Amino acid sequence: MDRSPLPNPSVPRRKGLFVPTVGLAVALVTGACTAGASVAPSTSTPLTASASVVAATPTPTTSPSPAATQPAFPLTITDDEGTAVTIPHQPNRIVSLTPASTEELFALGDGGLLVGDTDSDDYPAAAKALPHVATYQGVIMEKLVAAQPDLVIAGGDGFTHPADVTHMRSLGIPVVVIYAATVPAVLADLRLVGEAAGQLPAASAMTAAMQSRMDAIAALARAEPTHPSVFYEIGVGPDIYGPAQDSFVADMVVLAGGTPITTGDPNSYTIALEKLVVADPQVIVLGDYDYGTTVADVVKRPGWEHLTAVVDGAIRPVDDTIVTRPGPRLADGLAALALAIDPTLVLPADLMPPPTAVPSPS
Amino acid sequence: MRAGVAPGIPALSERVRATTPRWRRPALVAAAGIAALAAALVTGLAFGSVSIPPSDTLAILAHRLLGWPVAVTWPASSETIVLELRLPRVLMAMLAGGGLAVAGATMQGVLRNPLADPYVLGTASGAALGASLAVLAPLPVGLLGLGFGQLLAFVGAVVAVALVWRLSRASRLGSLTGLLLTGYAVGSLLAAGLSMAMVLSGAQLRQIVFFLLGSLATATWQQVAVAAPLIIVGVLILAWRARSLDALMLGDETAAHLGLAVARERVILLAFAALVTAAAVATCGLIGFVGLVVPHMIRLVVGPAARPLLPLAAVFGAAFLAVADLLARLPGELPVGIVTAVIGAPFFLLILRRVRTGYEL
Repeated sequence: MDRSPLPNPSVPRRKGLFVPTVGLAVALVTGACTAGASVAPSTSTPLTASASVVAATPTPTTSPSPAATQPAFPLTITDDEGTAVTIPHQPNRIVSLTPASTEELFALGDGGLLVGDTDSDDYPAAAKALPHVATYQGVIMEKLVAAQPDLVIAGGDGFTHPADVTHMRSLGIPVVVIYAATVPAVLADLRLVGEAAGQLPAASAMTAAMQSRMDAIAALARAEPTHPSVFYEIGVGPDIYGPAQDSFVADMVVLAGGTPITTGDPNSYTIALEKLVVADPQVIVLGDYDYGTTVADVVKRPGWEHLTAVVDGAIRPVDDTIVTRPGPRLADGLAALALAIDPTLVLPADLMPPPTAVPSPS
Repeated sequence: MRAGVAPGIPALSERVRATTPRWRRPALVAAAGIAALAAALVTGLAFGSVSIPPSDTLAILAHRLLGWPVAVTWPASSETIVLELRLPRVLMAMLAGGGLAVAGATMQGVLRNPLADPYVLGTASGAALGASLAVLAPLPVGLLGLGFGQLLAFVGAVVAVALVWRLSRASRLGSLTGLLLTGYAVGSLLAAGLSMAMVLSGAQLRQIVFFLLGSLATATWQQVAVAAPLIIVGVLILAWRARSLDALMLGDETAAHLGLAVARERVILLAFAALVTAAAVATCGLIGFVGLVVPHMIRLVVGPAARPLLPLAAVFGAAFLAVADLLARLPGELPVGIVTAVIGAPFFLLILRRVRTGYEL
């Protein structure tokens, strides 16, 4: 599966927090409206990599609200682990240690400021060409120091090794640790990273656009007459991996109009086949399609043949990266997931995901 | 020539000296070891995952450590890499390698078992369980530059050995057998706890795995400052008691006849070996093979006497781990435990071949 940080199973949350609430959307949209007015010239085309996100969004028109203006540097922000991080000046050499923040900085037009990322950062294509200063094993500290970053964005919940975060900070490098277990937290993180990079207005505009688009998708999906039970397959081999209870993916399934089948345990991502048979999913979404699992594989699995989804042929692949990566393409991910759950769902053109997001099953 | 020896027959020490090839003499081996250590220090500072010109490295060292007035022509990042990353890392590798080799030699001698290593009495599983508990329940607790996980690993290692020692005293088996079997039983129990922690760790499993493989990548000056006194004092005390180790290797009864307080000496040796191991493991994770193989290598060359063995094991263990760590970081941060095993296992096979030709512990 994607290497973006898994939702933190230990963080308790209210379920269904994202069932679209007009109030929340309005609040965010208004923030963006005023933000849009104060976008600096250099950021007037904030979205290059994921232009569809913003271009497709209707311009929010609501009453004025507090402006999302970029605070001046030196700037002290509180990251998702509660650490107060002081960024002495406008960063111009940034190392991004999560695929999501790499995507965001490219989307904000700051890709040129990136001097390093990890070897799992694969989008946009330019991210693959950056020096990789971290691998699955951890930060290669010499390479990171040699990149001379004045800001490092790291992943929380163990995504970046805590020892590496401590080490970088002990060398005097400002490290902002981001971690989002919920969709609103993802949007808040996108703004936090934007603020750290000196791009808060553009980031706010981006998240407001994402929010209104996700609200629209969720509203359409919720308006469907039925909400099938959905098993989002993270991987099978041989244990069956699915969304933990109350996890990020489970929330995405709710927003996309499904009823998620989870492992029933907020700390576990494996589900016993017996439990899956009892839960009897009406739809199986193949999050592991990009990693080689095909519909034919699922049908052939012993014990799966009587599942409703298998009998009905309701096994559909999705681009796991955009569904689970807490980055600027999350609205695309939600649209793709909604269509995977219910292919008859009709989305207006401005809400549709890019064609690659819904692979045709083979 | 001592009294009691027939004229014309050289004393034992003379005969040993005469039959030992010149290159096997401890003084020469020690000189070679110190040369290896110096070479490891130089190469450890010169090479890494980023290439820094040797002239810059030398100038940085001269400028910052010796205070020479050298014009600063290098980027600040090079200075950080040489002084804040490579130097503490090489020193940490030397401390851990030397400490583990001496602890291993001590364990092998005290337990009279060539397969013993620093981890044999539960230190490894105790430390690993401690570290994994810290991964499961991370608390923002630190002490002297050590993180919560490192503190728990240290405590886990020390507590495990103390527990093994305490439980083995209730055994009716011979003291050594009882100690080894108790160590095995307690180690298995702690390892089960570790496995459970790994199952529960979910996305954090990676952190536990890398502790188990060992790494020097996060070495800092603060950690060197904490580990150095523990390891150096422990090693010196062990080396100081080499005579006790020699006597214990003859068997408890013989040692007692020689006037050794067997039980007391054994506790002292085991306690300091455990302390040194715990300090190394807490800062670097579980680095295998150094403590097992280096003592055997030294014995092959200079023989089994503890007095030359322990200091030589310290020097060569230090050089061995520093070189292994350099090889580990050249391809971009492999866990050093893999490298020590890749180098150590063939050496160990060689030793096993030598056993047939009369090698003794």
